[in-house]
Amino acid sequence: MLLGFKLNKLRTKLFPKKGISKGYQKLEAMMMSFVADSLGRPDGYVWGNIFSPCEIIGGFGLNTLSIECLSCYFSGYHLEDFFIDYAQNTGIAPTLCSYHKTFVGAIDSGAVPVPEYAVTTSLSCDGNLNTFRYLERKKGVPFTFLDVPYRDDEASVEYLAEQLKEFAAELERRFGKTFDEEKLRQAIRIENETRRELMRFFKLQSERYYPGELISHLYMMMGMHLLIGTQEFLDLIRFMIKDIENYPKFDGKKILWIHLLPFYQETLQSYFNASRKYQIIASDIIIDSMEEMDETKPFHALAKKIIRNLYNGSYSHKADMVGKLEDRLHPDAVIQFCHWGCKQSSGGSILLKEKLQEMDIPMLILDGDGIDRRNSHDGQIKTRLEAFLEMLEAGEETEEKWLGSENNGAADRRLPEEEQEKAC
Amino acid sequence: MLGYICKYAPVEVFEPMGVQTERIEPDVTNFNQAEIRMHPNICSFAKGVLEEVMSGEYEGVILTMIHEYETFSGKTFDEKKFCEYLKGKEEEQQYALKSSALNIGIIGARANESIKKILEENGANVAFDLTCTGLGRKILVDEADVMTGYARGLLGQFPCMRMEQAANRDELIRRSAGSVDGIIYHTVQFCDNYAYEYAWLKEWLDRPLLLLETDYTRQSGGQVRTRIEAFLESLSSGRDRAQRRAETGNRTGTGSRAGRAEKLRDAAERGKKGDGPMYVMGIDSGSTSTNAVIMDQDRKIKAFSVVRTGAKSGVSAERALNDVLEKAGLTREDISWIVSTGYGRVSIEFADENVTEISCHGKGAHYFNPEIRTILDIGGQDSKAIRLNENGEVKDFVMNDKCAAGTGRFLEMIARTLEVSLDELGAIALTSQDKIEITSMCSVFAESEVISLIANNKEKADIADGVCHAIANKASGLLRRVGMEPEFMMTGGVAKNPGVVRAVEEKIGSKLYICEEPEIVGAAGAAVYALEKMS
Repeated sequence: MLLGFKLNKLRTKLFPKKGISKGYQKLEAMMMSFVADSLGRPDGYVWGNIFSPCEIIGGFGLNTLSIECLSCYFSGYHLEDFFIDYAQNTGIAPTLCSYHKTFVGAIDSGAVPVPEYAVTTSLSCDGNLNTFRYLERKKGVPFTFLDVPYRDDEASVEYLAEQLKEFAAELERRFGKTFDEEKLRQAIRIENETRRELMRFFKLQSERYYPGELISHLYMMMGMHLLIGTQEFLDLIRFMIKDIENYPKFDGKKILWIHLLPFYQETLQSYFNASRKYQIIASDIIIDSMEEMDETKPFHALAKKIIRNLYNGSYSHKADMVGKLEDRLHPDAVIQFCHWGCKQSSGGSILLKEKLQEMDIPMLILDGDGIDRRNSHDGQIKTRLEAFLEMLEAGEETEEKWLGSENNGAADRRLPEEEQEKAC
Repeated sequence: MLGYICKYAPVEVFEPMGVQTERIEPDVTNFNQAEIRMHPNICSFAKGVLEEVMSGEYEGVILTMIHEYETFSGKTFDEKKFCEYLKGKEEEQQYALKSSALNIGIIGARANESIKKILEENGANVAFDLTCTGLGRKILVDEADVMTGYARGLLGQFPCMRMEQAANRDELIRRSAGSVDGIIYHTVQFCDNYAYEYAWLKEWLDRPLLLLETDYTRQSGGQVRTRIEAFLESLSSGRDRAQRRAETGNRTGTGSRAGRAEKLRDAAERGKKGDGPMYVMGIDSGSTSTNAVIMDQDRKIKAFSVVRTGAKSGVSAERALNDVLEKAGLTREDISWIVSTGYGRVSIEFADENVTEISCHGKGAHYFNPEIRTILDIGGQDSKAIRLNENGEVKDFVMNDKCAAGTGRFLEMIARTLEVSLDELGAIALTSQDKIEITSMCSVFAESEVISLIANNKEKADIADGVCHAIANKASGLLRRVGMEPEFMMTGGVAKNPGVVRAVEEKIGSKLYICEEPEIVGAAGAAVYALEKMS
């Protein structure tokens, strides 16, 4: 299996996907190499989740392979159904998040080698503690559990910063290396720069057509959580900023995506992959931390970053942060994908919709599964999405008609053409 | 009044302030509010709590800290008063074993009263309940530092799976489990944390373990009862069980308890004296068919009958009774003992006793072929896998959830969509040339997936074969969960469908034994139970 992964890594480098931008091609190749290389060297990585402090782990020369990333990777090879069935047949709940089921099944079935150590957090996703505890018992992989406080106050930051220090000390003991605080500071400096550049890129992406695929946004999410703080990733974002300048103006509908993306989903692919009409300009899960970090107190900075994450704390906190993204990027609409088994996403979707209604931003809630094709129903997704897009178009037409009546009907004349295009 | 949910809620703090607290145990019949305010994929317990809080007379719900309540209510908290109150509080008893009954422990996600009620009705003793609802508090009184002492007591409860320190649950469970006959491991749909522990415990816990998933509503009551009763039956087999039943007398049937005992004695006497042949009957009231079997004292089937279950199970049972008596050339008086089974087992007035279809399928399968160790039973409304020991006693079983995927009903739906009869569906599946995968697990989605395949002009035979494989996938999951011990047998109406049978055989890589009339296995097992009663 590992050989297959490596061959694919080579493929993404030598024969990048056609029809998508160079930046997204490079991103795909980078993420594919990251996973394939890590899996080939089990002593060179620790398991984590997307909220784990990869900056500390990276300081030890180790990679952070998050369970979300690994499961998604397996799903790219269509292995998820086998692993999910395996996990469910051992008694794991069918209603559990498919990312977790795929991960548990992959590890429990012995298909993937296990590393020496793992780390996870209590942030948002409640499967983490139990998934890692289960695998610690069954496969003997010990882990650090970072208990992330719900509230954003000084005591909470202090509490988490202490845990992060202890985690660094644990890695020192386990891997026989000394922790270098200067390395962490350097990572934070790069991270700050990367975040600034990413916001610039998002801004540009809301103005220019930059062809990517659904999965490109997932790669970006993985990169922002597992490679953040590395020069390599910063260089890539800078490359994308340059590259996007070569692309034409985008005048279709701009979508802000909330939560995960079912990258395999055919209808969504047909509407969003390299589309001039509808472009996903950013996703909350890519930019879930937005603040500048203070490199002089690196552990506190990391603790603050984790506590102030958009997915931590009350849902009104999340709604506020999504509101900020809206202010900066001005999307035409928001789509939230409620991933099967994710109670946080489903549970909060209605609250977010209420908030966005107040802000007068159209929002669509889609239900499905981020990786298990069997839990997504194409007919349902198609009907909801198309109706929503029709609604957006209709809103614009009404606006144009109204403007058109003042502008000698110029906009009115464009309507039949657009209708025709839509019918095609 | 303040409502609370979690066992870690510090309710004792409020009582000395003159505030009543009550644990919210939703018993709602609809989700009118939840359907508006919540996403559908949320656990029914949470939905129920929302309904209950919005309709009940709660002043608030405890999710927060005490000084916030002071601000909120204008009441003040007095630590001395609190300390006195704690001193007067007695620790609740957590363990209660009874030597005369089956002792059952409940572990897992919060279990409501209905589970305990079913256990009690069946004469079992709930020895302990280690779920969120069952724990007695540890009251620690530390006069120097009242709050810290109290908090220590709160946190010293049997840890919940969401707590970081839940690792020592293993040891506590090991110790508790040692004292009981069996454990019910309860999980609530969408509350996934406990399933991990079940998957782990079943590897090493040396006690019979029943996984019971509920959705905290009353809808699945029938299925929950069947599972619990079958579990109790598998714990106590043969005479012991009959004895316990006769003593507790909770079973439905004709006449009073004393009357039945007398009838049983008469029948047994008659059998011994050799006053002519003795006959017993098993009757299985399923959702699709009602099946009856008459057996003589030499365990030979004298006659059987299969009738469709109509709108009323009692009426169909009467029809099956009359039909089978006619076929056997007997009258009602010739039958010494009748055991009912199946979903409608409690509604059969003329039965003397009822036993769950799980135990009856075990007996029946063993009757037809003693080599059978694993049964796959796919009926109209549910599917189950049952593992037997060499005596035909049930060692483990799993059932599908409430959803109809992988059941006979599902096949009926698809047959209707494909415009073929149920019998044809299996036959045409065998002629399939092209493989089609039906990926949807939900039967409603699967139906629309089939509709889009039809729209894409796919061949009926290929679609039918795809559907058979979808069922086989579900079935294989069930079989794997009970352990794949050969020989395998398939029972229930779906066993007559050659398409499904082939698909299951392919999936598990083994032949399935299917008896001549697979629908009567449960009824035959019930008849064997009746015979055992006579011996």
